[in-house]
Amino acid sequence: MKNRTERGPAIVIIIILIYLLIPLVVSIVYSMFSNWTGIVPQGFTLQTYVNLFQDKTFLASIGRTIVIAIIPIVITILLVLLALFVTVVYFPKLEKYVQIICMIPYTIQGVILSVSILALYVSNPTFLSNRVIMLIGAYCIIILPYIYQGIRNGMRAVNMPVLLEAAEMLGASRIYAFFRVIVPNIISAIVVSSLLAVGIIFGDYVLVRNLASSAWPNVQIYLYQAMKSDSMKSSAVFVVIMAVTFLIAAIVLYLQSRERKGKKH
Amino acid sequence: MKTKKYIYLLGLIPFLVVAFMYEIIPLIKIIINSFLPDTGGSFTFENYETVFTKLLYQKAIINSIKISLISAAAGIIVAFFGARAAHQAKGKLHNIFMAILNMVSNFAGIPLAFAYMILLGNAGVMTQLGRELGIQALADFNLYSTNGVSLIYVYFQIPLSTLLLIPAFEGVRKEWQEASTLLGATKGQFWTRVGIPVLMPSIMGTFSVLFANALAAYATVYAIMMNSISLLPIQIAGCFVGEVKIRTGLGGALSVVMMVIMVIMILITNAISHQFQKGGKQS
Repeated sequence: MKNRTERGPAIVIIIILIYLLIPLVVSIVYSMFSNWTGIVPQGFTLQTYVNLFQDKTFLASIGRTIVIAIIPIVITILLVLLALFVTVVYFPKLEKYVQIICMIPYTIQGVILSVSILALYVSNPTFLSNRVIMLIGAYCIIILPYIYQGIRNGMRAVNMPVLLEAAEMLGASRIYAFFRVIVPNIISAIVVSSLLAVGIIFGDYVLVRNLASSAWPNVQIYLYQAMKSDSMKSSAVFVVIMAVTFLIAAIVLYLQSRERKGKKH
Repeated sequence: MKTKKYIYLLGLIPFLVVAFMYEIIPLIKIIINSFLPDTGGSFTFENYETVFTKLLYQKAIINSIKISLISAAAGIIVAFFGARAAHQAKGKLHNIFMAILNMVSNFAGIPLAFAYMILLGNAGVMTQLGRELGIQALADFNLYSTNGVSLIYVYFQIPLSTLLLIPAFEGVRKEWQEASTLLGATKGQFWTRVGIPVLMPSIMGTFSVLFANALAAYATVYAIMMNSISLLPIQIAGCFVGEVKIRTGLGGALSVVMMVIMVIMILITNAISHQFQKGGKQS
């Protein structure tokens, strides 16, 4: 049999690829030319990027994005691991409810989640009305479905009950076995779902805008504000954001394909 | 032994505390709020009355449903051909397509809105190209309108819907197509009579994901239109953020309406795909 793609499908794929890539390519080119009013862009320069990386506000916004991604991901992974340990090992009947709680954010999404958290805590007298705390709480919830799915699929793949039983027969306690045997075995699943979560938080605008746009202006807020004033600068910010986003997606893809290959052997 | 086992329930507490504080209680509170008047007082349907009688909110509901339906339908149609092509394609092209789809599926929100402004905004690259070359449709294109926003929505639906539909094509067996060709059916007949009905459950499932995705989309449209378009997410956020007076009751009612629309769409798509599954079993 021929191992080449027929012409029909190839044309469809190429048309879709062109359609999907045009906005990206145009914005990238735009960031590197000082003048694009005719058909051909003119005045190649990378000065915008040099200025951008000297801009303290920009660097701070990147730093904020990284911090606000790491904290909720670590919290959520620990919560889900602990909850799944308890339910899978001791109370399998409760697992259904953990799953429901983890899947709800999938359907409510950003706008409703952000305004309900805001309405509940905005006039709270304690630390709960702190905007950054609200944002961390909201991010924990918004990434919950992805972290849960990743960890749960990982647990299914390693056949947890058998592993736990084996460890118990060798004299290990269940909790020791879980954290020293199961967790290391599903670490790649945890890494993949954390990266997906990083991608989600990195791309979020609605939660940070509604909950903490002045208290925690991250890189998305920075881009939004730059858009109003300077399109060259904002296209450079755009390129930085997209580069990071694509890098994360590429790593996820690579890890997933390695995983799949590993299983085939 | 028994009591020892229940000690482990403590492990669920941190998870439940966070889930209740930032997911369950806020949701319950917003539903309760929707039945409380913003002016103070007790239980009322006033907020829902406002939502369904005031032109601004009626328009928000209609616009939101319209844009979500159009963009989801356009996404599904492109995804059908895209996923079929991806299924038929082999080797390098297939891998490149998958990799780019995966990456572009993260391309949404503010960055996407920005890219479209550069492309088709008032001084956009394509708009100017249209002027230079005398292509009126391009030169006069107004990104800052419902049509413009729909165009951007279609963009972010395509990678997602194609990725979701590709696995479904595994279910359309090659032998079926060969058999139908032997029986004298054309390619078109095969797809309308066999292929699409088999795919229908996946198509409907994808459709409801796309619909929800568009219905809740906020950042893209906010970046393009600010508050000058009436869509549900924009109105909801407007009730809580940036206004002089926060209207939790009205915002709550709008949120509940949005959730109900989403649930109705899931029920409709489930019912349709159920029909196709039943038909399959009978034959």
